[in-house]
Amino acid sequence: MASIPITARARHGDGGLNRALAIQALIGGSALILVAAPLVPILYQSFVSRPLYEDGGILTLDNYVRLFGDSVFYSVISNSILLALATTLIACILGVAFAIFLERTNLPFRKTLRSIVLWPMYVSQLVIAFSWFVMYGPSGYVTLLTQQLFGDAPWNLYTIWGMAAVGGTGMAPLVYLFCASSAQRVDATLEDAGRTMGAGSLRVLWSISIPLMRPAIIYSALLTFIGSLEMLSVPLVFGRPVGIEFFTTYLYSHGLGGIEPDYGILGAAAAILLVIITVLLICQGMLLTKAGRFVTLKGKAQRQKLADLGAARWPVFLLFLLYNVVILAIPLAGIALRSVTTFLTPLMAPFDLLTWENFNLIFSYDAYVRSITNSLIISTVGGAIATVFIALITLVVHRSNFRFRRQLEFIALYPRAIPGIVAGIGLFWAMLIIPGIGWMHGTIWIMVLAFTMRSIPTAFGAISPALMQISEELDKSARSCGADWWTACRTIILPLLKPAIFSAYVLLFLSFLKEYSSAVFLFSPGNEIIGTTMLSFWANGDTGPVAALSVIQIALTVIFVFAARQLLRSHQNV
Amino acid sequence: MSELVLENLSKHFGDVRAIDGINLTVADGEFLTLLGPSGCGKSTTLFAIAGLDTPTGGIIRAGNNVFFDSTKGILVPPEKRNCGLVFQSYALWPHMTVEQNLAFPLKIRKVGGADRARRIAEALDLVEMAPYAKRYPHELSGGQQQRVALARTLVFEPTLLLLDEPLSNLDAKLRIRARNWLKELQQRLKITTIYVTHDQIEALAMSDRIAVMNKGEMVQLATPQEIYTRPAGAFVADFIGSSNFMKGKMARRDADGTAEVALEGGTMISAIWAPDVKPGSDVLVAVRPEHVRLAVARPANDDFNLLPGRITGRSYLGARYQYALDAGGTSIAAETEDAFDRPEVFATFDRAHAVVVLP
Ligand SMILES: Nc1ncnc2c1ncn2[C@@H]1O[C@H](COP(=O)(O)OP(=O)(O)O)[C@@H](O)[C@H]1O
Ligand SMILES: [Mg+2]
Repeated sequence: MASIPITARARHGDGGLNRALAIQALIGGSALILVAAPLVPILYQSFVSRPLYEDGGILTLDNYVRLFGDSVFYSVISNSILLALATTLIACILGVAFAIFLERTNLPFRKTLRSIVLWPMYVSQLVIAFSWFVMYGPSGYVTLLTQQLFGDAPWNLYTIWGMAAVGGTGMAPLVYLFCASSAQRVDATLEDAGRTMGAGSLRVLWSISIPLMRPAIIYSALLTFIGSLEMLSVPLVFGRPVGIEFFTTYLYSHGLGGIEPDYGILGAAAAILLVIITVLLICQGMLLTKAGRFVTLKGKAQRQKLADLGAARWPVFLLFLLYNVVILAIPLAGIALRSVTTFLTPLMAPFDLLTWENFNLIFSYDAYVRSITNSLIISTVGGAIATVFIALITLVVHRSNFRFRRQLEFIALYPRAIPGIVAGIGLFWAMLIIPGIGWMHGTIWIMVLAFTMRSIPTAFGAISPALMQISEELDKSARSCGADWWTACRTIILPLLKPAIFSAYVLLFLSFLKEYSSAVFLFSPGNEIIGTTMLSFWANGDTGPVAALSVIQIALTVIFVFAARQLLRSHQNV
Repeated sequence: MSELVLENLSKHFGDVRAIDGINLTVADGEFLTLLGPSGCGKSTTLFAIAGLDTPTGGIIRAGNNVFFDSTKGILVPPEKRNCGLVFQSYALWPHMTVEQNLAFPLKIRKVGGADRARRIAEALDLVEMAPYAKRYPHELSGGQQQRVALARTLVFEPTLLLLDEPLSNLDAKLRIRARNWLKELQQRLKITTIYVTHDQIEALAMSDRIAVMNKGEMVQLATPQEIYTRPAGAFVADFIGSSNFMKGKMARRDADGTAEVALEGGTMISAIWAPDVKPGSDVLVAVRPEHVRLAVARPANDDFNLLPGRITGRSYLGARYQYALDAGGTSIAAETEDAFDRPEVFATFDRAHAVVVLP
């Protein structure tokens, strides 16, 4: 065999290291800019005396002084914390109960119930809030029907507990997901030990299984708490009409309500929300490292003993069904019905009120149609761009010698601390002050940026475990065969990572389709999305078109999930 | 031309000294083995040569190409070193066929069309895997994967062949066949090879020279015969086939290396080789269990070393027995086919089999 001439190697060789470094620096730098873009304007604005786009502002603490001088702000803080506590409580009780009944007992049809329980995660929080309003609101169909039949409806969604019920049932699936894996891992021998001492099944569950799940419960409780602080839709639909203000609605009304928004107050309030959530996330991070010590992953999957529910088996099953009917089926059926009727009341049969008017309205105005096409483009194209970008971040963090890869991981996870509405305000301001990006105003690209930034942690978390499963020796061997870092990534790792990247894309598509909170400050004629158009109709009291758009959004979700499943299945069969 | 030189090479992970000041010259065409227990730094050394690990200090040079020099700040990335590395896990790319695996390094070197196909065919022929070109790695047995991994490395004609325990995932029988085959191939190609293993038999059978490593340091560098017959220390003597160690003091050492050692019980032992230390120094006499013979009666002549002892234990090894003896306070293991019915025996061993090592 003739030796391969050195020149052939030199051609690809020189500059290889620089190319790797250039790509890594580009990805790291873009991530930093993307995450910092909304944060820096907010922090800056909170400390200057004038709107940030005006000259002549001076550094001052005055904004904070004024904010804390406003008595409304104290009720904003206490309302926000109360709602977050109540939501967390409801979500945790439900989520833990799901985990125990679906993973540790002989409940019938567990497999089906497991997927049903996750359905609320596919629906936008905005749609959930609207649909609850349509059925369980003060003039909702179910509320009126109950009043008609029993004289009174014993619930009121316009209270902290009412809102917590809407939010908590929506977040319970998240708690369930975290607790399910730890419920599966509870060592059956520990439970057996309890049982041999004469404790009954339920007693064992209560005194042994649940304490063993405690780390997962605490972790997901913090997650829900943060989620409820960020929640915009529920407070907007159920709090604002009766004057109960929260952090998010405070920002919403101060930023969009008045004729001339008070930039200083807005900046200070947003900064405080950021700080609160950052602190909570740091606590969560510390808990997670500690929680690692509790979790003992067994190498061998052992068959678990399922607690016998006995005679309660079918009643509990029915309870599960009833729960899902009440929190999801009825509201969604209601909003679907509302979309094809002129109005919805128990006094008249809905069939007498049937109409296509709501859909006709949406399809006859460019702006409304555009909001649907924009949403679709942002989800398909923007979701794809975001997926590729975040996959590259994961590569740099886990598979490179980039000097700042630890810092990049922190940057990638930080957006969890940035509520959607804060991200929206921040990016809006960034467009005002950063020269050269003003053209993005009113385009869908600013939405793509905002949604991408918000979704980095989700996709990073979805891709990382799969990446770490791919042996490092595979890319190392490519390197020693002569491939530089980028070639090894492109030809070896990325192809092997395809399934995880596809799952991440599905996740991002769905969350881009649902996203609305970061868009409320970013939309203007031209880049409306389904969520912002729904909010505009809502503000005018037009429930019909809102319902029609909700139905469209759900239909798009269902079609996409179905198509993704088919695609995945056909690939697995090859 | 492709001689490899390591000067004072070190790699520290915080306080862990994975390799600590290795000096080594591998001659062109030589088969050199890094041998040592798991965790002694063999892989780290190999990966440092390949450029996959950045050492903390020292120099790596291949011929006139400096790969790494900590003082001059030189670090050549792995893709520009042209080292062929075969991993313990083979690291075949699962999404590519055997053929595509082999094509990869050639494509990177811009070797096109017919030339590429010819080289792939040649390399697969070399490892007797030509019929499997279209298969995916998971459709191959462990031994076949190992050959493909080797072919993928040889196909681009690396200047250095680096092998990290390439046979450890094969079963015992296959391992012996692969060992002979690999050695034969290396001699044919005359490619400078560094072979990493923790298996002393593999090392003895294949190598031109062996570098024995312990805790990140190189403790002996010599031919297999020399390593076996003249281990440089108790660690080497015990790691390369186990050894009995008898404590004593050096009585006399001649210029040719032969020596006399006074054991703690007073018995004098003659050894074929000893390191150059002062008379009276504490030393160990090393002798392998298979070289210790046992006899019921005291042998008539005494042109070998002799120790009276008591049998304290016996275990059956299949073809032979292993006995544990107590010889005046020193415990000795001996392997023999004979069965003994009395505990009192005489242990003898040739002076050619006794080596003095430092404790
Ligand atoms: N990334 C690392 N971080 C810390 N210690 C390491 C790392 N890699 C290897 N080591 C340590 O370096 C030593 C040598 O490892 P290695 O070269 O893999 O040993 P061998 O291949 O001889 O079994 C071991 O003690 C190992 O624990
Ligand atoms: Mg190793």
